[in-house]
Amino acid sequence: MRPPISLEKEFLKKWVMGLQKWSSTSKEMSFLERKKAIKLSADVAMASARNGSTLWSRALIAGASKDPDTNAIVKHVVTGSTAFASLPPPIRLGRRRVCSNKALRKARINHFRRPSRKSAASSIVKRLVKKRTQVIKGLVPGGERIDDESCLIKETLDYVISLRAQVHVMQQIANAAELLNTNNN
Amino acid sequence: MNRTRPEMLHCLNATGNLAAATSREMSVLERQRAVLKWHQEQLKRRQQRHFDDLNVFSAPLLAQNINGLIDDDGSGLNEILTRPTGMETGRPDFGSKSGVILDLDHSAGHVNASSGYCLNFAISGNINFPPTVVAAATQVNTAVGAEAKVREPTTSERLSVTTGRQSSKKRKAEKSLPSEVDEEEDSIVKKIRGCADEEEPTNSDQHQNSNKNNWNNNSSKNKESNGDKSNREASSCTSKGNSKASAVQKPDYVHVRARRGQATDSHSLAERIRREKISERMKYLQELVPGCNKITGKSGMLDEIINYVQSLQRQVEYLSMKLAALNPSVDVNINDLFAKEVSPACLASYLPTMGVSPEMASQSYLEYNPVETMGQVCVSEGVNLVDASLRRSMSPPVSIPETLLHSSCFNQIHNSLPWELDLQSLFSMEFQQERPINCSLADLCWPY
Repeated sequence: MRPPISLEKEFLKKWVMGLQKWSSTSKEMSFLERKKAIKLSADVAMASARNGSTLWSRALIAGASKDPDTNAIVKHVVTGSTAFASLPPPIRLGRRRVCSNKALRKARINHFRRPSRKSAASSIVKRLVKKRTQVIKGLVPGGERIDDESCLIKETLDYVISLRAQVHVMQQIANAAELLNTNNN
Repeated sequence: MNRTRPEMLHCLNATGNLAAATSREMSVLERQRAVLKWHQEQLKRRQQRHFDDLNVFSAPLLAQNINGLIDDDGSGLNEILTRPTGMETGRPDFGSKSGVILDLDHSAGHVNASSGYCLNFAISGNINFPPTVVAAATQVNTAVGAEAKVREPTTSERLSVTTGRQSSKKRKAEKSLPSEVDEEEDSIVKKIRGCADEEEPTNSDQHQNSNKNNWNNNSSKNKESNGDKSNREASSCTSKGNSKASAVQKPDYVHVRARRGQATDSHSLAERIRREKISERMKYLQELVPGCNKITGKSGMLDEIINYVQSLQRQVEYLSMKLAALNPSVDVNINDLFAKEVSPACLASYLPTMGVSPEMASQSYLEYNPVETMGQVCVSEGVNLVDASLRRSMSPPVSIPETLLHSSCFNQIHNSLPWELDLQSLFSMEFQQERPINCSLADLCWPY
């Protein structure tokens, strides 16, 4: 499965927008700063290409806009997109614990009520799954606030698709730039 | 009484409808009469337009009730498939669609539900299916008969569209996934598993579910009292949802029926639905993550997903570092790239080798128009640069000497996939139609 072309085009467009904004600041940047700028622009572009329809994109943009340095870039890139009327502050993401507190309560109750009924094997599996779910929550931006497993999987799905598109476009650009450099030298 | 059933079946078969009813059901139906009358009128209005040959409406009470049920079902189907404006407005598609439903399968009065007439789309659908997908689903489901009441055990899944006036046993509210997901993603990520895949292989029956919750509840209660022998089916709306259905229907709840031989309390049903949803999404992820076809366990899959996401993130870091290293500064990066663009003349010579279809070209051009209007010279140039480098890798007929260029181009080729070539060609065509830009890249790269 390949990332859809329109998604990549959107990402490229926004990424270049972000990069241009960086250049407008017109200050000399170290290597690491440049790398950070490029990566940030890419991430924000990818998130805004989703137009605020996914949780991870909103969380990523909210996180990026927290930093005053990056806020300008974020605003510049995101203002082009339609769905972000205003960037939701991180606090409001708490409202996105949508996927279900009820399930979480149930899980907690079940856990306390019947710890001994499960066989050892299944409890081990459960622990493994739980541990890995925690890791995934750490990986996917905004995942910590998701309680429902199916929501988490959905967000992960979307995030993986976007990451693939992002990597693909960046690879192309990097190869082009590399070719250009080798030709120049 | 069972006696009535053959008569009804006969009657309905003759008219193309299939129904099974018992005395108990009759009593239930009689209770529902007042509610059904509205549907009957509605049905009559539509039926008269489309089913002149059907004499169902002159049929006795049972037939009327069944017609009401069919109407509900047909309307539900319509709502899901055609996104109608409202329940009460006439739908031109109704005739064709319900005709499909009604005319199919009535062999021996047994509802054929092998593929399941399942309106198996989550009402509040998580992912919006493109219309083509929905159409495909309807085709899959056309081999379905309509049945008023389920008598035989079935495990077909159903998602019945409710009128929204009554509360259902289950209420599920689900988030919607981004609707901007492209067609390609949709076709891959969101298959309509609802009907075909989720159907149990032993499904035999088609249950035409009334949209009236009361009826469902009553009958289900009656059946529940009879134990598992009653025709309860579990419908788990695991399919990813139909935007049309969700757009039309206010309620996002799901009619669920317990599977034969399984617990019927609402908690376990909810649990089962949740589990099936999760497993369906895990299947999608399995297709997405390479090399996960052999892994069956949930924890193993999660492990692979973690590794994949981590590797993708690391790739992004590495690529951004590479780009930063390649260029002295961020903006200079872009500007330099743009300063050295392939001249359109050079490109034009290569275009014939591309074999790009004109439709793709126009499409890409249209897509990039906003870029142009934004004054994004850089974007288009960046695209062109990408295009230039990529096309070099893609055009073997071009007489590029086997220099180091070729080696890097090969890397490109290896990375490229068939559809990527399309992407590159799109870029190239787009560039061709844009303003001519001078570029020394051609001079640098091409051995002229």
